[in-house]
Amino acid sequence: MTNHWRDIKNADLILINGANPAEAHPVGFQWFMRAKLDRGAKIIHADPRFTRTSAVADMYLRIRTGSDVAYFGGLINYVLQNNLFHDEYVRNYTNASFLVRKDYAFNDGLFSGYSQSSRSYNIASWSYQTDPSTGFAMRDMTLQDPSSVFQLMKTHYSRYTPEMVSSITGIPVNDFTKVAQLVGQMGKPDKVMTIVYAVGLTHHTTGGQLIRSGAVLQLLLGNMGRPGGGMNAERGHANIQGNTDHAISWEILPGYLKIPAPGQVTRDDYVAQSAPKKSDQHSWNFFGINYKKFLTSTLKAWYGAAATADNDFAFNFVPKPASNASWMTIYDQALKGKMQGLILSGMTAASIGPDSNQVRQALSNLKWLVVMDALPTTSSEFWQAPGVEKSQVQTEVFMIPTTHWIEKDGSFVNSGRWSQWKDQVLPPQGQARHDHWILADIFQRVKALYKSGGGKFPDPIMALTLDYADPAKPTLDEIAKEINGKDLATGKQMTSFANLKDDGTTTAGDWIYTGSYLDTGNLMKRRGGISDPKTNDPTGMGFYANWAWSWPLNRRVMYNRASADLDGKAWDATRPGITWNGSKWVGDVPDYPATLDPHDPNAYLPFIMNGEGVGRLFSNGMVDGPFPEHYEPIESPVQNPLHPTNSASPVAFLYDKAAGRPDRFGTVSEFPYIATSYRLTEHEHYVTQHVPLLVQLQPKPFVEIPYELANTKGIKSGDSVRVSSKRGKVEVQALVTKRLGPMTVAGQKVYQIGIPIHWGYVGVSADSDPSHGRYWLANALTPFVGDANARTPEFKAFLVNLEKI
Amino acid sequence: MATQIKAGESYGFFTDTSVCIGCKACEVACKEWNQLQGNEATFLADSFDNTGQLDAQNWRHVKFVEHVPDQSATAGNGTAWLMMSDVCKHCNQASCMEVCPTGAIIRTEFNTVFIQQDVCNGCRNCISACPYGVIGMNPQTGTAHKCTLCYDRLQGGLEPACAKACPTQSIQFGPLSELQQAADVRLATLHSQGVTQAQLYGRDETVYGGLNAFFLLMDTPETYGLPSAPNAKLPSRNNLGGYAGAVLTAALAVVGGLIAFRRRVTG
Amino acid sequence: MIYLAAEHFVRAPEWLWYILFYFFFAGIAGGSYVIGTLLRLSGDARDEAAARVAFLIAGPATLLCPLLLTADLGVSWIRFWHMLVNVTPGDTSLNFKYWSPMSVGVWALLVFGFFAFISFVDAWISQRRGAPFVPLLLNRAFNVVGAVLGLFIASYTGVLLSVSNQPVWSDTWALGGLFLASGLSGAAALVAWLIRNRPEASFSLGRVHQADGYFSALELALVIAFFITIGAAGTLAREVPWLPLWAIAIVGLAASLVEARGHMRAMTSGSSGSVAGIRVDTLVVSVLVLLGVLALRAAVIFSAQ
Ligand SMILES: Nc1nc2c(c(=O)[nH]1)N[C@H]1C(S)=C(S)[C@@H](COP(=O)(O)OP(=O)(O)OC[C@H]3O[C@@H](n4cnc5c(=O)[nH]c(N)nc54)[C@H](O)[C@@H]3O)O[C@H]1N2
Ligand SMILES: Nc1nc2c(c(=O)[nH]1)N[C@H]1C(S)=C(S)[C@@H](COP(=O)(O)OP(=O)(O)OC[C@H]3O[C@@H](n4cnc5c(=O)[nH]c(N)nc54)[C@H](O)[C@@H]3O)O[C@H]1N2
Ligand code: SF4
Ligand code: SF4
Ligand code: SF4
Ligand code: SF4
Ligand code: SF4
Ligand SMILES: [Mo]
Repeated sequence: MTNHWRDIKNADLILINGANPAEAHPVGFQWFMRAKLDRGAKIIHADPRFTRTSAVADMYLRIRTGSDVAYFGGLINYVLQNNLFHDEYVRNYTNASFLVRKDYAFNDGLFSGYSQSSRSYNIASWSYQTDPSTGFAMRDMTLQDPSSVFQLMKTHYSRYTPEMVSSITGIPVNDFTKVAQLVGQMGKPDKVMTIVYAVGLTHHTTGGQLIRSGAVLQLLLGNMGRPGGGMNAERGHANIQGNTDHAISWEILPGYLKIPAPGQVTRDDYVAQSAPKKSDQHSWNFFGINYKKFLTSTLKAWYGAAATADNDFAFNFVPKPASNASWMTIYDQALKGKMQGLILSGMTAASIGPDSNQVRQALSNLKWLVVMDALPTTSSEFWQAPGVEKSQVQTEVFMIPTTHWIEKDGSFVNSGRWSQWKDQVLPPQGQARHDHWILADIFQRVKALYKSGGGKFPDPIMALTLDYADPAKPTLDEIAKEINGKDLATGKQMTSFANLKDDGTTTAGDWIYTGSYLDTGNLMKRRGGISDPKTNDPTGMGFYANWAWSWPLNRRVMYNRASADLDGKAWDATRPGITWNGSKWVGDVPDYPATLDPHDPNAYLPFIMNGEGVGRLFSNGMVDGPFPEHYEPIESPVQNPLHPTNSASPVAFLYDKAAGRPDRFGTVSEFPYIATSYRLTEHEHYVTQHVPLLVQLQPKPFVEIPYELANTKGIKSGDSVRVSSKRGKVEVQALVTKRLGPMTVAGQKVYQIGIPIHWGYVGVSADSDPSHGRYWLANALTPFVGDANARTPEFKAFLVNLEKI
Repeated sequence: MATQIKAGESYGFFTDTSVCIGCKACEVACKEWNQLQGNEATFLADSFDNTGQLDAQNWRHVKFVEHVPDQSATAGNGTAWLMMSDVCKHCNQASCMEVCPTGAIIRTEFNTVFIQQDVCNGCRNCISACPYGVIGMNPQTGTAHKCTLCYDRLQGGLEPACAKACPTQSIQFGPLSELQQAADVRLATLHSQGVTQAQLYGRDETVYGGLNAFFLLMDTPETYGLPSAPNAKLPSRNNLGGYAGAVLTAALAVVGGLIAFRRRVTG
Repeated sequence: MIYLAAEHFVRAPEWLWYILFYFFFAGIAGGSYVIGTLLRLSGDARDEAAARVAFLIAGPATLLCPLLLTADLGVSWIRFWHMLVNVTPGDTSLNFKYWSPMSVGVWALLVFGFFAFISFVDAWISQRRGAPFVPLLLNRAFNVVGAVLGLFIASYTGVLLSVSNQPVWSDTWALGGLFLASGLSGAAALVAWLIRNRPEASFSLGRVHQADGYFSALELALVIAFFITIGAAGTLAREVPWLPLWAIAIVGLAASLVEARGHMRAMTSGSSGSVAGIRVDTLVVSVLVLLGVLALRAAVIFSAQ
């Protein structure tokens, strides 16, 4: 989230796309209700299904899964055509005025620079015209230049007429215009809208762009950086935000520094290719200019004394992967027989999918599989799952019992970036050990093996710092302290990443957490909350700066310089983010130099982390296009009405094709219905299959079937049905409902079927069922393909057939 | 809720169904606090409800009523897919208490209706009387069970578990007077927003002298399986008619008998 | 009596077999005590034998009642006495709620039990001695009080059902009367059955059948009233599955009417009551009537649950 949960109460209008907060984030949802109850805010929920969120929304729109770019694109077009955008903001706080290179183009669904053979773009042309003298981007503050971002954008989205939007999304024109009129109001300085999303947007081959299209709309309306505004991702597991911050995904180092690439020999090579470049004279480019300090401090945290100026602070110790190593790639490698073993901790690959049958095949190709978990999972049991021929499984499976999160202390980072320290609630059960102790133990043994047996390039292993009281049993408190980092000269904890150095005198395990654990103590433990609002929430905006700690630097709303106009006055005096009081910025922790006068001729532009210093309506940060464009899901019942010849994303990576495996995508002729998969309030993915009280609330797997379709097939609630895709099938019960229904897309009538994800062959339900949950894995249906940027699987849009059994 | 809980005050619930999101946290919190096992898991294929009813194992039950029109755009507003967390109403005139022959059902110092487990002998008269189908028998204990309004928690100064767990404040706990004011305000807001079908149930005396656990409904009471005010009558209403019928019959029967057995002179 | 639209959102108390048989024996016990008393009041000496039989029935039948009720409590049967004594810590006291038929009923059962027991002992001893044990006048007085209680025992179970919020039960005022009439009729049938081949009591046989006829006529009227009232309340449909039981009840009813008519003919044609003599059909009729009494209660009890 750019903002945070409590801040949603400050909104006038709430767009919910690709999220079902009432079911997936029920506690956070209280703030939506507060906005509705206390300030009469309107909630608009666009979802293929009428859900428990829709039930309390002011307006529910039945939208076709995978079509939100068209929805937001249509709103962008409406706002531009009717001049409803926030003019001062767009001119000064976005790159609307930047001039784009003349060779940038977009034709028939393809941006300039596309290569058919590599299915990828050369993005050179997606950049600005630069002034040779300064090297900075050229701008036209009148926004009239045909190659200005503003004009390009206007043309790009002019195709997204209400009729076009309707034909893509299935939302009738007049319903869409109703929404457009409401949204159009939100460009006024005294109005603010928030967009809330989650994996209903990310689980698509166009996931990245789906989100960007919302962000672009928010920039046009001047809602970025403002309380009650922003582009807000509701995160997943209680600590998935923390996982991401600490680089759980392969392409980053802690704090969203890029993973080094082959050929980068020195830190400078790395920074040159990774850091944002200053492209306007008033841009601070804070991230860019500090990139090297952040990296160096991380290296010092990792390699300590072994990281010296002479060895360029051990930059050569850091891996520089030559190829993608994301989720699906791992199983793709295993399918190719290129993997020996796998350690799964805190998740169950067999259920997660996509294409679970293929994933389970991949697991059975491994020599060994280690499952670190507190409970049996579909992965620890995959070799003896119903219908599995044990002799066909060569994998040796080890189960290492870990403590559950409730059996350890440490921090949870919520969607609002608050790092909240929690205590251990229960003592570890049985032989359970903490994950970090298991990993430390394994590491010590590997180190010992290197010591005795030598081996290729032992230095990164040998040099790694483990200065904990007991290196085999580090405490999470020690680790938190290390992550914050310290000044090696004074030995004091660092108070801000602004003071980090690139000369090896400071450390930071994750620079964005610097300032969370000071010499005065662990700020994540703070609990200055609603018991005393006067002290803890003086502005009444709900920042609660004394509650836990929020990265960066305890800032509650990111980009908050943009919450004030050029003079530093709040756009809306009733909802200030930060304001200039004549001598300093007050309110939230400013995302700006605390005492820099906005009237200073050298005052920085508002978005201090960007090279441009402003919000990017046009960006070369994505591999699939500088402007979000609607592409059909890989499995779609229709051709893209915008450009049938380039219907789906031209750059989505097709694993099976690349690996020469048979094609596993279905066509509408065999699989006539659209399916989407999702969560129910009553279960947490797969783990709650072990919780009897929750199993009682949703005891058996089911699929939600549109009433009209069910009638034509003679299916009634409670009947057993088979839902099949090109990849597999589920055999579960039917829940027939009018909450799902037909829609007209590209002139065709289509139905969407809903598939909850929670069941499998492990747990209370499966144990009590004669089939033992043999055909209960939702992901038996989903396609093995993902977003071109993040490679997030397309869990949310695929084709299926439906039969009564 | 920061209310300080005192004996002698009337406490209850204002359950605002217009903001209920059917998350069932109340059901689970109640089971956890009161250590109820719940019934055997069964898929009811009835919207998202698999609990089915209030009984000895379920003292909270979230009802789901689907009236969602099959159309592309709908105003949810709490009126299309009704969700209501049902519970013992802690009636001011409690049918269960009226008929209980053992005196097991009492009114507590918090003006709530409570079944004393050490007094109840399992006759089930209360079950036949409760117009809301709240009470259930526990075959293990042989006694009747229902919501205690967390008697134990109230005595310990804690708000009820269900209310504490409710994320949307659909369940509001507090002194009845405060709740009634809150409800009136909420109703006014909804009406002003044009949600005219919103109505309060049990807030005034029209239903069993007023319910300590009263509701804001988004449709008619019957839609939620609640008797409408004119139908909300105490069991004792039938004493008179029943006994009158019996007395009349008795009189005629006696006469009949006397005639049949009258002395006759016979040879 | 207020008629309510058929809106019932209650749960069933699951009053099943024990309760069914309790209702049955309560009817028989109360009914036979009343019949015994009436025989003594308006009958002549030749009816004393039949009267004693009636009291001999009332005793054991009454004894069964508390046993069945206690059994119905399940594992907490040991607390049957909580009906009488409120053991609420702090205010222990006797339980009596005049507005709760169940509460009134247990007390009535207790007191009636005393009367039924004494009259049973008296009837038993008198029968062995072949002469009255207690002086007749005193006995009559005693019986009258007992009979009043008997009438209550036989009828209150119907009122108890009505004093609820259950469909059917709470929709009619007729159940109290209905249970009483059918209880009396059943009792009469049982008396007839037992005296049918006792020469000393044969005199009463026809007269008992005749009484049964009157009771059945009453019962018929109340059955009609019952259906009208629940019809008005809109819960008629609930009886549909139980029509077979109603059929059995009606058969019993009809049988006793026919039988009674037979006897009244016989008597009005000047022939003495004793011509009744030993008749097979008495057995048949009695069995049909008793089955009817049981079926009627079953139909009423089950239709609500
Ligand atoms: N109860 C519960 N809560 C959870 C979890 C859980 O398992 N159970 N899991 C947690 C985790 S890890 C995560 S990631 C989050 C996920 O939180 P959410 O993203 O809210 O959860 P989902 O149910 O996967 O998807 C949300 C909605 O997206 C809709 N949808 C699907 N495709 C589209 C689309 O193309 N456009 C639009 N507009 N909507 C679409 C689905 O119908 C669904 O209603 O939930 C977290 N919270
Ligand atoms: N079709 C479809 N597939 C999906 C999704 C979808 O929407 N549709 N959603 C996707 C998303 S967003 C997600 S996040 C995944 C969720 O998939 P998973 O993360 O696999 O789901 P969970 O059941 O939450 O698994 C968590 C596991 O961690 C264990 N655990 C808990 N605490 C600890 C701990 O401290 N240490 C260790 N070692 N283990 C612990 C639990 O016992 C449990 O087994 O599913 C993905 N798959
Ligand atoms: S499960 Fe935990 S994280 Fe999810 S909504 Fe409930 S309280 Fe919040
Ligand atoms: S709702 Fe039922 S159980 Fe609760 S007090 Fe009222 S009558 Fe008694
Ligand atoms: S079951 Fe218990 S509480 Fe209910 S009426 Fe009988 S004694 Fe009273
Ligand atoms: S008040 Fe207590 S007992 Fe009653 S429903 Fe709520 S949690 Fe359960
Ligand atoms: S906890 Fe609150 S919101 Fe959730 S179901 Fe219960 S009453 Fe409704
Ligand atoms: Mo997730």
